[in-house]
Amino acid sequence: MGKVVFDVHYQTTLAFLISYYFYFTGLSAGSFMISTLSYGFGLEKFKPASKMGVVAAVLLLLIAPQCLLMQVAWPVKSLWHNFLFLNPISAISYGSFLLILYPLNSIIYGVFMFKENKKWTKLFGLIGIPLALAVHGYTGWILALGVARDYWNTGLMPIVFLFSAMVSGISMMILFIMIRDRFFTKEKVINDDLIRSLAKILGWLLVVDLFLVFCDYSILLYSKLEGQEVAHFMLFGKMSFWFVIVENLVGKVIPMIIVFIPGLRRSYFWLIVASLMNMVGILAMRIVTVYGGQALPLM
Amino acid sequence: MSNPHKTKNKDLPRWGMVIDLNRCVGCHTCEIACKNENDVPLGIWRSWVKEIEKGKYPNVVRAFRPTLCNHCENPICVKVCPVSAAWQREDGIVMVNPHLCVGCRYCMSACPYEVRYIHPQKGMIDKCDFCSARVDAGLQPSCVEACPTSARIFGDLNDSKSEVARLVATKPVSTLKPEMGTEPRVYYIGLDVATLEIRREAKLVWEK
Repeated sequence: MGKVVFDVHYQTTLAFLISYYFYFTGLSAGSFMISTLSYGFGLEKFKPASKMGVVAAVLLLLIAPQCLLMQVAWPVKSLWHNFLFLNPISAISYGSFLLILYPLNSIIYGVFMFKENKKWTKLFGLIGIPLALAVHGYTGWILALGVARDYWNTGLMPIVFLFSAMVSGISMMILFIMIRDRFFTKEKVINDDLIRSLAKILGWLLVVDLFLVFCDYSILLYSKLEGQEVAHFMLFGKMSFWFVIVENLVGKVIPMIIVFIPGLRRSYFWLIVASLMNMVGILAMRIVTVYGGQALPLM
Repeated sequence: MSNPHKTKNKDLPRWGMVIDLNRCVGCHTCEIACKNENDVPLGIWRSWVKEIEKGKYPNVVRAFRPTLCNHCENPICVKVCPVSAAWQREDGIVMVNPHLCVGCRYCMSACPYEVRYIHPQKGMIDKCDFCSARVDAGLQPSCVEACPTSARIFGDLNDSKSEVARLVATKPVSTLKPEMGTEPRVYYIGLDVATLEIRREAKLVWEK
């Protein structure tokens, strides 16, 4: 209706470092889930992935908060203010506890696993599952409780984050296990059964992930004006390359097709391609969600 | 609007502002006065006037929407701040405690009115505080005092004799985004819907 002559916007509030933080936390939660499949739930098939999973989960969780601290303007102050001046109704407050408890629990769990203590490994693995879900679900909450942005403010956000965490974690595990088996074992043979099982799980999780994205967007396109605008911005606007092509086509649809076609799944080359594409796509998803979700001016 | 000034303590004042856009001429004096008073750095505004052109010749007009912190009754920024740096005074003014703020910017992205900014030198959140120091000294906020057409009216909403209370009670006032449930205490008279439009495209950070 009108042409804007003068206006002020402070739009880039949570930028790329937060996306990387979400990405690393997601990878960590995903690989932790894989590591608990054998010790927590007794699926012996996944045992060769357990140790790798827990090491990856701990290492990534050491990197992830660094991104958070670099994003915060006063990192040292934030280390103790988050506990001393805690606001019990803020989502971030709980994150600071989870970011301590979850790596601690993972380290204990890992120590028991390397000591081959099955009983305690199982206990800490089972404690770790809700923690891993919480540590990544709460990143979705943080965005969902940023109520001003319609793209974030949906109950689907924590679930979308959990599923994208699991798919990216599994892709990373597939790559890591291939590298380990091929170069760092005596036999130099890739554990075929394990890789195929992980690829199948990856495929089905991608189906759920794509379904969640469909739900999100079909609702957004029918919602109030702000939601419609941000959906148009993502699907047809400046974000469309990152959202449609990189995140969904490259990151989810093509890897899903690769792991569901038996001929392609049998080839290690295509599995590596699918895993790499998926990892790139989920990184794009984090950037699209965090940065794209707040790029449009609100008023 | 039937109960526009519900506060925790009825004996204390509840500061609020009415902006009469029939009087506003879009001179941006309030912006400059605010910058002078609060030492706001370049490129950043605590209060600004959104200005739009609408219509087709000969039916054209410029519409204005002076924007500042709404000092909401239920401020989202106070809810989401993880370190309790965003807080609300008893008299309703929403403040930032610079000793507590760690600059995580969560409140910036949660504020529906986009009035918060990171102070480039301090790295902390800063925003309009109704010139709380002036108000405490019995003065008017600097934007109100500077406005040449008296379009901004500031006062105590709890005091039924004050002009703001009278205007809110008797004039057709509106607030920004009432659907957010924040209950803003900055009221507009004659607000043009064209100044509230959402823009479809934005300049992305990686664009030149």
